[in-house]
Amino acid sequence: MVDKMSPAERFHAVLMGEKPDRVPINPFILGFAAKIVGMPLGDFYADGNKCFEAQFMCMRLYGYESTPMYGYASCGPWEFGGKIGFPYGEGHSAPYVIEHPVMEIGDIDKLEVPDSDKPVGGYVEAQKVCDRCTQMGMPAIFQGGSVFTAAAVVADTSKFLRWIKTEPKSAHALLDKVSQMYINQIEYFVNRYGAEKCVVFDGGPVEANTVISPQRFEEFAFPYMMKVHKKIREFDIPVTLMHPCADQNLNIPYYIKLRESFNWKGIYAWIFGPETPLKTQIEKFGSHDIIGGNVDPPSIQTKSYEEVVQLCKENIEQGMNNPRGFILCPGCEFPPLAEPIKPMAFLDAARQFGVYK
Amino acid sequence: MVSKEEILEGLAKAVIDGDEVKSEELAKKSLELGIDPYEALMNGCNKGMAKVSELYECKEMFVPEILLSADAMYAAIDILKPHLKVDASAKKPAKVIIGVAQGDIHDIGKNLVKMMLEVAGFILIDVGKDVPVDKFVKKAEEEDADLVTISALMTTSMMYMEPVIKQLKAKNHKAKVIVGGAPINPDFAKKIGADGYGKDAVEAVKVAKNLIGA
Repeated sequence: MVDKMSPAERFHAVLMGEKPDRVPINPFILGFAAKIVGMPLGDFYADGNKCFEAQFMCMRLYGYESTPMYGYASCGPWEFGGKIGFPYGEGHSAPYVIEHPVMEIGDIDKLEVPDSDKPVGGYVEAQKVCDRCTQMGMPAIFQGGSVFTAAAVVADTSKFLRWIKTEPKSAHALLDKVSQMYINQIEYFVNRYGAEKCVVFDGGPVEANTVISPQRFEEFAFPYMMKVHKKIREFDIPVTLMHPCADQNLNIPYYIKLRESFNWKGIYAWIFGPETPLKTQIEKFGSHDIIGGNVDPPSIQTKSYEEVVQLCKENIEQGMNNPRGFILCPGCEFPPLAEPIKPMAFLDAARQFGVYK
Repeated sequence: MVSKEEILEGLAKAVIDGDEVKSEELAKKSLELGIDPYEALMNGCNKGMAKVSELYECKEMFVPEILLSADAMYAAIDILKPHLKVDASAKKPAKVIIGVAQGDIHDIGKNLVKMMLEVAGFILIDVGKDVPVDKFVKKAEEEDADLVTISALMTTSMMYMEPVIKQLKAKNHKAKVIVGGAPINPDFAKKIGADGYGKDAVEAVKVAKNLIGA
């Protein structure tokens, strides 16, 4: 098919609950963009302007619907004064923690929550991306979670996971500070761009059920997710991207509870990991929320173009009639080392199998 | 007077509960009572850890609980190990090189596999995280390893598993290679020529045992 809408029109249609000409695509491209434009991956994350330019060029090259954003899974330590490394080394894929601000329980009390008067850490680079996006009429997308994953990297991860059993009060104190950091940074971006131009991205892998039980999620992740989302709703930010990373099937009841608590207000788009069937997502969220497809990222990297088209086709067929709308996505970041033809597999599948009559 | 059975059961329970203090206390008590340290390890700590594996497999235990169980187990091992009698005629345990692939710093999964393999009686040589290909190969040669286990959590780092396998094969090294981690699946493991794939720590132990015929 020949596209009848521009990428912006298509994305706007799905956000508004209208049928676009075809299934839109958010390929969750970050590091892949650096490779496509020939930029060192470290530069992509170390400089928000470069991050914007690589993603902007990549989106124009392929013509997919998502717009640039700055973010990575280890958000938190830099914002609290820790040290991160940029991915210049072989095999690296994203910034990583060199020094955790919290190594011992006593460090939690000393941790100072950054104010809402300026961006800190990675938010300085995120601001550069958001400035460029908003100047061009695109939304300002920035991280607002997940609190649990951020706390698990602000502290030494294996210690934090022990503390939720042995030192629950201290773990809660840390989670509270991390949630406040997110709220303050969200407030800063809302003040800078206006809530109507903001999109919050919330997601992380440490709360996956390969790591913690749903009971621990209820006790340690859910209350702080609620706290941040209460503020998102108070700020009246229209769109929230939720990425429960990896296998979070046992946490689904809490994500439903989150949405029910706010009467399903706001536009929420869910990108679960490939472990969560689309059928389940549609059943649980589909009447109110947009569902993002979840093509398996390692398969995008290791399988052929034809096989990836087939995976996208299956995803589209399962998801495209979701009542509140559907976006074709990978179940996590697009693999940075995937061949350049792979985003085309998404586009070709959407044009061939995702047309709305 | 505490019986031997009570001590062994107590050790197993301390490991399951992740109670490091109790585990230490009972390991010391077992020595005081003259219980064979090997028996305390096998019928106490290891029995407890076998139950932990079972609970992890059926999603009744998760990583925080297992980390504490590991702490409790290692606390007892530290006390018991110096008292273990060395049996020169016993079959030598298999040696395993374990590490996280190049570019990857996520080592919690690797540490769980390491702990479970140790409990299963393997000798582990931990080469750490973000391990260059050459280091895996060099260490396997130096240690005359029977197995090399590599984990990766990123799609970028998983690409450094195949070169390890290729280099070991090029050198005709006997070590079998097991791979695992979030982005890995059996197809990928097969494609890169790995001898085994473990979807989690418990499965990694089963695969390791199969590969060395234990």
